[in-house]
Amino acid sequence: MKDKPRVIVLKADGTNRDEEMAYAFKIAGAEAKIVHVNDLRLGVDKLSNYKILALPGGFAYGDDIVSGKILAIELTSFLQEQMKKFIERKNTAIIGICNGFQVLVRTGLLPFRKIGEMDATLTNNDSGHFECRWIRVKANEKNASPFLKGLSSKILMYPIAHGEGKFFADSRALRQIEEKNLVAFRYVDEGGNPTQKYPDNPSGTLNAIVGITDPTGRILGMMPHPECFTRREQHPNWRRDKVKVDGLPIFENIVEFIKKT
Amino acid sequence: MIQKVRVITKIGPDLKGEGILQDVQNTLGLKNITKVQAIKVYRLEGINVNQAKILAQRLLSESINQNYTINSPIASGQAKVVEIAYKGGVMNPEIASIKKATEDLGIKVLAVDTSYEYAFYGKLDKEELIKIVNKLNLYNKTVEQIIERDPQTLLITGVVGETKMVPVRSMNDNKLLEISKDKLFLDLDEMRAIKDYFIKINRDPTDLELETLAQTWSEHSGHKTFKADLIVDGKKKESFFNQVKKEAYKHGKNIVSAFSDNSGVMDFYGGYGVCGKVETHNSPSAIEPYGGAMTGSGGVFRDIAATGMGAKNIASVDIFCLAPLDLPESELPIGCLPPEYLLKKVVAGVRDYGNRIGIPTNNGSVHFHEDFRAKPSVIVGAYGIIPKKYAKKGVPKLEDLIICVGGRTGRDGIHGATFSSAVMSDQTININASAVQIGNAIEEKRMFDALLEARDAGLIRAVQDCGGGGFSSAIGEIGEELGLFVDIKNVPLKYQGLAPWEIWVSESQERMIVVIDPKKLKPLEDICKKYSVELTVLGKFDGSKKLKVYFGKELIGDIDMDFLYHGLPKKVFNIKHKKSKDRIEMKSLKTPKSEKEWVSIFKRILAHGNVASKEPIVRLYDHSVGGTNDMQSFSGKNLDGPNDSPIIRPFLNKKFGLVISHGLNPILGKIDPYWASLWAGVEALSNFVAVGGDFRNATLIENFIFPFPDDQTLRDLDRSVDAVVDFMKAFKIPVISGKDSLSSTYKSKDDKVIKIPPTVCISVMGKIDDTTKSISSDFKKIGSTIVLVGKLDETLGGSTYFDVNGILGRDLPKVDLKALPKTFDLINRGIAKGAILSCHDVSEGGVLSAIFEMCVGGNCGVKISLGIDQKPEKILFNETAGSFIVEVENEKTAKQLFKNIPYKLLGKTQSKDMLEINGNEGKLFEADMEGLKEVWKEPMRRLFS
Repeated sequence: MKDKPRVIVLKADGTNRDEEMAYAFKIAGAEAKIVHVNDLRLGVDKLSNYKILALPGGFAYGDDIVSGKILAIELTSFLQEQMKKFIERKNTAIIGICNGFQVLVRTGLLPFRKIGEMDATLTNNDSGHFECRWIRVKANEKNASPFLKGLSSKILMYPIAHGEGKFFADSRALRQIEEKNLVAFRYVDEGGNPTQKYPDNPSGTLNAIVGITDPTGRILGMMPHPECFTRREQHPNWRRDKVKVDGLPIFENIVEFIKKT
Repeated sequence: MIQKVRVITKIGPDLKGEGILQDVQNTLGLKNITKVQAIKVYRLEGINVNQAKILAQRLLSESINQNYTINSPIASGQAKVVEIAYKGGVMNPEIASIKKATEDLGIKVLAVDTSYEYAFYGKLDKEELIKIVNKLNLYNKTVEQIIERDPQTLLITGVVGETKMVPVRSMNDNKLLEISKDKLFLDLDEMRAIKDYFIKINRDPTDLELETLAQTWSEHSGHKTFKADLIVDGKKKESFFNQVKKEAYKHGKNIVSAFSDNSGVMDFYGGYGVCGKVETHNSPSAIEPYGGAMTGSGGVFRDIAATGMGAKNIASVDIFCLAPLDLPESELPIGCLPPEYLLKKVVAGVRDYGNRIGIPTNNGSVHFHEDFRAKPSVIVGAYGIIPKKYAKKGVPKLEDLIICVGGRTGRDGIHGATFSSAVMSDQTININASAVQIGNAIEEKRMFDALLEARDAGLIRAVQDCGGGGFSSAIGEIGEELGLFVDIKNVPLKYQGLAPWEIWVSESQERMIVVIDPKKLKPLEDICKKYSVELTVLGKFDGSKKLKVYFGKELIGDIDMDFLYHGLPKKVFNIKHKKSKDRIEMKSLKTPKSEKEWVSIFKRILAHGNVASKEPIVRLYDHSVGGTNDMQSFSGKNLDGPNDSPIIRPFLNKKFGLVISHGLNPILGKIDPYWASLWAGVEALSNFVAVGGDFRNATLIENFIFPFPDDQTLRDLDRSVDAVVDFMKAFKIPVISGKDSLSSTYKSKDDKVIKIPPTVCISVMGKIDDTTKSISSDFKKIGSTIVLVGKLDETLGGSTYFDVNGILGRDLPKVDLKALPKTFDLINRGIAKGAILSCHDVSEGGVLSAIFEMCVGGNCGVKISLGIDQKPEKILFNETAGSFIVEVENEKTAKQLFKNIPYKLLGKTQSKDMLEINGNEGKLFEADMEGLKEVWKEPMRRLFS
């Protein structure tokens, strides 16, 4: 028990994939606790008690104004000091999935690890609507993040479920993201090539980007839901295909990284 | 003063604006409009310009892709602009979030509102603009309005309304009916009973008391027809309700609780129960489909959350019955909305509520019949999981507190329960606007989070949701035995100005009533605080056997519980059945003659709304949240082959699962409600069996969706209830929950009447001990054997084949209740053994449509030999429920599995992408899968992609 890294799965009003996230970390060997952001505000709990911060999917505060905005404001204003201290510690990790990713870009932590200064955004899917389907992605082999270890050799499958998943940055920021190899995942077609074609790329996201890390590789944000693919039967075709559980390795990588540092 | 911040998209598509432009150019054919911009408007009261600037930069806009202005227009001068906002008092869910974030940023605003401006570029004047806005239904007049001039303040004020006395004791019959009409919706007998009661207690009622009685005695809450005494063809018969209940309890093995709570609870595995609730939300959805579908979803979720001491929602289901999408405008009754608009809006409502609350929407269907053109049916279902120890409500004790949690109360939804029990007319949209509202899924989500934590901490004695009738029904029901008092002056309001009776019957969403021991108040308050949930103590159980309502010190309601719950005069219905079937035409069709004719008719069947792929709708719903679904709606090579039922694993680390399915067929209901109801039940159960279920492990939920009960409707109801009872007998499984909605009749000014087809929807909750043993419908192998299992009744009345040819027919396929249990068992055994590779039940579209769908999933074709030449359509387009298309390795396996029941070897799967259909003497027709898939996918893709 003692060497199990502690994960805070941070929940706000409207967060909804917290249980799967906690479950994924648990079976990956961590000790995960779902904590409401109000408990951080009220001082009942604090970020310094944890090594991994996980921001789950859902609709934090209803995604009012734009997705993840209200929670991002909360983390960078009311809870700014705690957040700063958390990322200053070298032995911490942050993962934001779907709504959590939207929150992370709006805090400025992704892509360039700033607090309160946005360099990218996640905006409406080109289709104009919410989209729930299984998609193919590939991990960027040039991204050195320990969280992606061993993932880039094959096509991965995950479910996505979002309406605001189009990664968008101006050309200068986008160039930097590519040059610094911060892209973590891209949508790919059947042949494994990055694609802009619907529905393989369901949002029309720039450069097929569907996940990025910060320059340290210790903050990861992604739209697909690896936490919803931690057992075989979650895959739509487990009855006809040989299915490998693609979601779990990400959580195992994060846990292993924290254990080592 | 109010600061007005406008935000537009600078780079990247402005989806809202472009969508409108497309509709303007394509739907309305107006090419003079060249561009439409959508502009988000924020009005912030009580701050200065500098503060507005900080908020615009940090909160309301993102400079990467957006621009903003403060207090000045953002569209260029040439544009014609129209602004659309929620009407005052309609809840705008964004407001609370914006207030919270502004406070986090250190700025305190007094009030906030948001709206949209639409800027139209090109040649047009203001008048044309308004025409376009109306034609495109850009806003719903029930809840939204065009802003003509800027408001001076956003603070809604008002004085507390009065409580009035209503002198019923001195009213004659005409006067009694007059005050009931359009308001109380009670009949003369009921009004007289009320008059007599108040004569007896020697005073007149308050408006609140009258409203309380009207709510409690409404068809919606009181189920007067289902509880009425019956005389059928001169003989006494038990009430519909008792008939169902009595039969159900004969098969009670799996019942944890039935007919007594907000949902029925079935025994599950590991000390848990599963519960299910299905109900209609027709009336609100008919006039405001988006809000109606939302509040319908919110309502059934609360029913699950208010089962026992609180269950956790794990799945939801949505079923829509509408007029065909190509209904000519001239056929649309006055005051009714077009089916395409309705479908788009109800789907959007389900999407926005279900996705936001994080409950997977993983089953549903859409059914089309022209008799739904006046009143659509929107059927919503929810399923939950609950530890059995919490599955029954505790009994309130003296001094227990009555607490309201969740959202605030407004004028919205007033008269929802009474209104939904009434006949719809072309005046409905004007009179009953307040019966509609927009839901706030986030409010409900955090309330559920809090209540589940409170349940697990042992704080809750009982929980009740505020649905139809608001507090009046929720609080009344839980206090029926003991009696209680409440003070509704403490109720948190959205805005001032409500009369006490309005607070009492308001159906504002996202509120629940909790009963607790007074010692547990502090820990409950702490939990609510953590989840940002408002909590108010309203009153106490006092042993008075009365319902006493105070407004501050003033006693404004004081009714005996006994009268409230047992004073409703019991109805007696005299039902006389007719022998003849003369209301049904007797027509038949000639067998298609050429290959071309065959392919053409099959394509029309595939494109029929009842058969066409619903994938584009499914993709809009979050069906993956929770990671609990082991049978996705679509699977197969290209993930586009439809499956029969979802299989939910409530616990990620446990193998047991819940299968959810349903059946209904309004078209068959037109011909014969008895056989249509059986068809519905068998269809639902077949869906469970087809994925690997044992029918003995199923329980049922019944929904009767009927016109207003006149003589014909009562006859149809009687036959339908007989069917439900016979169905339970045949399979020895119980109905454990049900609901009737007997109001789907439309009356126009000139007394033209449109009734929906009598429709019974049967839902199945089935348990399965190992989800890894279940199977899907996609063909798995090439060269495998395709078998039709079960007996077809070779009639085509009410089939899709008949419907696309414009005829109804008289002889509908009758299910064989005696033979079915054996068929189900052999399918079940074949799946358990692993001998059945894939399975799909036969339903709308018939045998060939089922085979086609399995080919879609398998990305393959088939070669079929029917072995007959006479009327092959009687097999190909047959829709007998309880028959299955099964894929097995080879013919020998089929013979071993099915030797004791009717089955027919149909042919083999093939890699060639073709459906090849042969009679006895050679080819009938062939068709390529790509072409067929295209027509099958196109109808919903056109609307939803």
